[in-house]
This record gives sequence, structure tokens and C-alpha cells, in this order.
Amino acid sequence: MIVGGRKPLEEIAASIENYRHVLIVGCGGCVTVCLSGGEKEVRTLARELSHFPKYRGFSPSFKTAAIERQCEFDLVKNFLEVPTNTDAILSLACGAGVQILADVFEPIPVVPALNTTFLGAADEPGVWREKCRGCGDCILVYTAGICPIARCAKSLLNGPCGGTQGDGNCEVDPELPCAWTLIFNRLKKQNKLHLLEKIRPPRDWRPAGANGPRLRRRPGLGQSPGK
Amino acid sequence: MNMSYFQVNSRCNGCLACVENCPACALAYEDSGSTRKLLHNMTLCARCGQCWRVCPQDAIEFRNLLEGGWDPVVTLELVRCKVCGEPIYTKPFGEQAIEKLDEALSDLCLRHRQRISALSWLKLALPKGRMKRTEK
Repeated sequence: MIVGGRKPLEEIAASIENYRHVLIVGCGGCVTVCLSGGEKEVRTLARELSHFPKYRGFSPSFKTAAIERQCEFDLVKNFLEVPTNTDAILSLACGAGVQILADVFEPIPVVPALNTTFLGAADEPGVWREKCRGCGDCILVYTAGICPIARCAKSLLNGPCGGTQGDGNCEVDPELPCAWTLIFNRLKKQNKLHLLEKIRPPRDWRPAGANGPRLRRRPGLGQSPGK
Repeated sequence: MNMSYFQVNSRCNGCLACVENCPACALAYEDSGSTRKLLHNMTLCARCGQCWRVCPQDAIEFRNLLEGGWDPVVTLELVRCKVCGEPIYTKPFGEQAIEKLDEALSDLCLRHRQRISALSWLKLALPKGRMKRTEK
């Protein structure tokens, strides 16, 4: 899932302090599951901003809403109702959701309340770790289901660097497991250590976004008229 | 009555575009005798809106899947504060707490527990005459 974390309250308050009527919009997708942008977080943020004592001018008034996913243009356009007097929308979605709201409700300013951080999964309740960099050329089949692009601090493709510590952790962060140690140990359990003998050449980073914003087209999907 | 969150309006003609295009396999159909029945499985449904997008008849009332009501899950007997009647816990919760704590939970809310506790201290601390005035 996409993992995000809420910005500091002071930063959010500063970004909306020139607007009188603010609609706070949550998203029912990834950010609900990672406890940063769902309906409960919307209510919490509305309460905190209503009681925030340091607005330089007037205090904005707040309304709240949420939609199943902010990242789908037609869902937002058809099902998210924005009160007519709204001066700004404060979005608790990832960056994709914020941009879709800005497109749909132009020219109303849309302000992000989260920092979108990474594609990850929960290691334990309340702790999310980056698992995928979205590089567009997945090699997990060769690396025992452990991504060295996202989980090695140097994104190495050919085994560990010389900095793996004695406990199997990374020299960049002693708390971080060395991805290549994890890969080695799992490949050994799978009797697939021969996969490590293949030299992987420097990769083409264009599928990872080095060639500009990426687009995926799924052919064969229809659309009914008028939507 | 078990009311489905997935609802279609009278424009539905049973073309099955929604069934064919549902990426979560949450829609199905049954042809039996002279009727076709459309089926929806809420636990499989991702609420992605693909059915709504592809429906050539504009028949799918997708808002029902976004703004559903509340379903009752379980109904349990409540224990209320014996002074003010405020709900404090359920009867099964109290019974399980007795097993774990070896003592019954108070049947007073926090406010009245504190007030009664304070009054008890006052009774100990003050002479009898003054206590009567305090209790008022």
C-alpha cells in the first residue's frame, strides 16, 4: 500500500490560515489502512485545527468528508460533494489523491495534509516499512521475494557491499537488516543460491521514471457514455 | 431483511457487462428457468466502480456502495451507573472481569465513584455536624 504520514499540525495550519471555509477530505484507500488519512483521522485533524491557538488572522471553519478513493477522477467528480462556499480543500490522501482533487475542483486550492512516503507494508501493528520502489522492472523472482532496490540502502543488484555488519545489518543504519543478507539466507533455504552467480548488468532506469512520468494503458476496457 | 448494498435501477437489462468486467469477481448471475438473477458478494467487492463505469445502461446505483448504512452486529445487556444511569459496561464484560480480577466491577460511573469516595474521606475527616452541611 501507499504509506503516508501526517504533516506537523503547525505546517498544516499555516497552509490554510488564509481561507475562511475549509473542507477536510479523507480517503478510504491506503491511507485509511496505514492510519493517516481515513475518516477517523479527518475528525481528529478537524478537532485539532479548530482548537489550534496560533492562527495569525481569523480561524478557518471546517467541514469534513471522505470518499472511498481520492485517486479516481470519475468517482470524485460524481460522488464527492463540496459545499459551495468552500475556499480550500485539505486532503488527507496521498499525492495522487491530492492532484485528482485539484483537477476535479479547479480552481479551488487543494492543500496536502500528508507527506506521501513509500510503497510498503506493516512489519507489526503501527510500523510500516518500505518494500517497493515502483521501479517498473521487477526482479523479485531472482531475489527470493526481497527487493534490493527498495530495501538495500544502496539499491545494489549484485550482492552485498562490504559494509554488512557481523549481525547481518547495514552499515548505513545499524538497525536496518541488510537486504542482501536476507536474500542470501532465503535463497539458501530454497536451494537457489545459484541465482546469485548471475551478474546483473547496470539496469535501464527509464521504467523507474527516469524517462519522465510513467503511463500504464490497459487495453480492452470500455467506458459508458457520459462518464 | 437482507438488503444488498449493490443495487441497480429499472434500466438494468441483464446484459452482464458488470459481471464480465468486475476485477474482483464479486458479481455473478444465475439463469434458472425463465429468469436471470444478478448476484453480488460484498466481501469480495473492492468498490472500485468498474461496474458503474462499464454499464451501458447507467443502471448501477453506485452511491449505495459508498454511503451504506449501519448493520447491527450484536446486542448485549448493559450495566448502568446505579446513581445517574450512565452506561458503564456490558454484563458479559463485567462477568469476565470478575474472573480475571477476583472482584466485581463497581456499578458506579467514574464521576460517582470519585464523589462517593470523596464523601467517605470527608466523613472520616470532619466532625459529624459539619459533615451534614457538606453532604447537602
